Amino acid sequence: MIIETHALTKKYGNKTACDQINLSVEAGQVYGFLGRNGAGKSTCIKMLTGLVFPTSGSGTVLGRPLGDVSAREKMGYLPELFRYQDWMTGLDLLNFHAQLIKLKNKKDQIGRILKLVGLDGQEKYKVGSYSKGMQQRIGLACALLSNPQLIFLDEPTSALDPIGRKDVRDIIVALKKEGATVFLNSHLLSEVEAVCDSVTFIHKGSVVKSARMDELLMTKISLTIRAQGITEELFSTLNKQHESLQKLADGSLTVTLNDYEEIPSLAASLISKGVTLYELTPHRETLETVFMQIVGEEG
Amino acid sequence: MLNYFPNTSVTHGMGAQFRPFAIQMVTKMGFQFSSMLIALLTIMLGSGAIASELESGLIQGVLARPIHRYQYILGKLGGLVILVCTYATLLFSLILVIGALFGLSTITSLTFSQIMAGWLLYLLLPVAVLCLTLFGSVSLKAVSNGILMIFIYILGSVGGMVEMIGQYVNNNSVIGTGIFISLVSPFQTIYSTMEGVMVPNSELAATAMSASSISGSGKPASLWMFVYFAIYMLGFVMLAIRKFSRKDIT
Repeated sequence: MIIETHALTKKYGNKTACDQINLSVEAGQVYGFLGRNGAGKSTCIKMLTGLVFPTSGSGTVLGRPLGDVSAREKMGYLPELFRYQDWMTGLDLLNFHAQLIKLKNKKDQIGRILKLVGLDGQEKYKVGSYSKGMQQRIGLACALLSNPQLIFLDEPTSALDPIGRKDVRDIIVALKKEGATVFLNSHLLSEVEAVCDSVTFIHKGSVVKSARMDELLMTKISLTIRAQGITEELFSTLNKQHESLQKLADGSLTVTLNDYEEIPSLAASLISKGVTLYELTPHRETLETVFMQIVGEEG
Repeated sequence: MLNYFPNTSVTHGMGAQFRPFAIQMVTKMGFQFSSMLIALLTIMLGSGAIASELESGLIQGVLARPIHRYQYILGKLGGLVILVCTYATLLFSLILVIGALFGLSTITSLTFSQIMAGWLLYLLLPVAVLCLTLFGSVSLKAVSNGILMIFIYILGSVGGMVEMIGQYVNNNSVIGTGIFISLVSPFQTIYSTMEGVMVPNSELAATAMSASSISGSGKPASLWMFVYFAIYMLGFVMLAIRKFSRKDIT
């Protein structure tokens, strides 16, 4: 495991920011870390990067204990509230970070990273004159400068336009292909759904669910039925077969099925009972619906 | 002031006997004003050195790099020491050059060793202020730290005055209070020692300066006081490192 934590807890006075967090992140994964605002995601990332000291619990990152300086040699971090030395040019900033990590082949690597994050040709301007999106890109460049094995991205696309978001998604996919592990904290669930292999949901400082993305999304199908002629008796009969069957306010029905193969038999069964079908729409569960279920249930 | 007390070679009135005193006053005022300027500049630079980076979040990207927290503090200290020492050296040189151009005997009669010792003591003041301010920068917000440091710096001047009053009224507890204040804020003692090296007092000037200065006379530092300065500076740097090494970067 590239990240492993045991009962990691952080308290600020009486307030518990993270409570007994247990994480196991395999190397080479894109790992999503999800939760509402104030759930404790950033605090957890800061504990993993050594910026915040845990109140109790333990953990390892890249095989080293939390806070170990040598582990940071192979680590990149893009903070949620990115602020950089605005009096420096983009190139100065990358040179400064290259010195901090004692980077060899500085010039080549900086050139490569600038191209990767889409700031090629912008490096001679001061960071203070960059737009918010460009500042986020230069932050990403700083995080990727050392060719890290493990990258923590805390809301990496919060200031980016749709094209910028796609660029970051592509970068994440490219990093995964190169064998790097990406620990991604994002509120953009579609983005997480597109790139993550596993996700952990955190709510009020505690982990409420951890699962592989495919297991999480592929298990069930939600079906919307719009039809005429469903009597109360028929509804009761169907409800006995499908406990998840619900009548919605607009008169349509929803039911959760385990498999796509159940749809034709359900349709045939309805038609045979004289029901007129207008619509039968299967919905694959999205991360958003799962998120709402998991975090919503927790309150 | 130099015009008011003319040169002895020109006139032979009452003014002539006060001319050396006037020269000393002008020289001392030059050093006092410039050292105060340096101290305030140091406070301005140091108070936000770490605090403002903590407040803005700028520090997060740096501390996520493979560097120890003590390296960060020492790096900041090193950079600021170079900056304030360069500025202090320029100002110190400027006083000497201006003094020499006006033919002030207090400056023209200085020996090389006096200048070197005076220069080192002149640099010691902002470095001592910086060590304290850096500790404050780790512990407080930038603005609060700046205000507190200016207060402590001024307190040092008051300490000398309290000690002098204690001596005048022959009250040991008042003297003790003055000494305690000077230990908390030893900057006036450092300045007085530098002044003692650069502008040795005539008796008249000593009396007049003591009476006129709001900062009190301030005694030149003994050898043990220098040991105390070293402990004071080192202590606050160590405290800053200790505090910063345990600080959550939120």
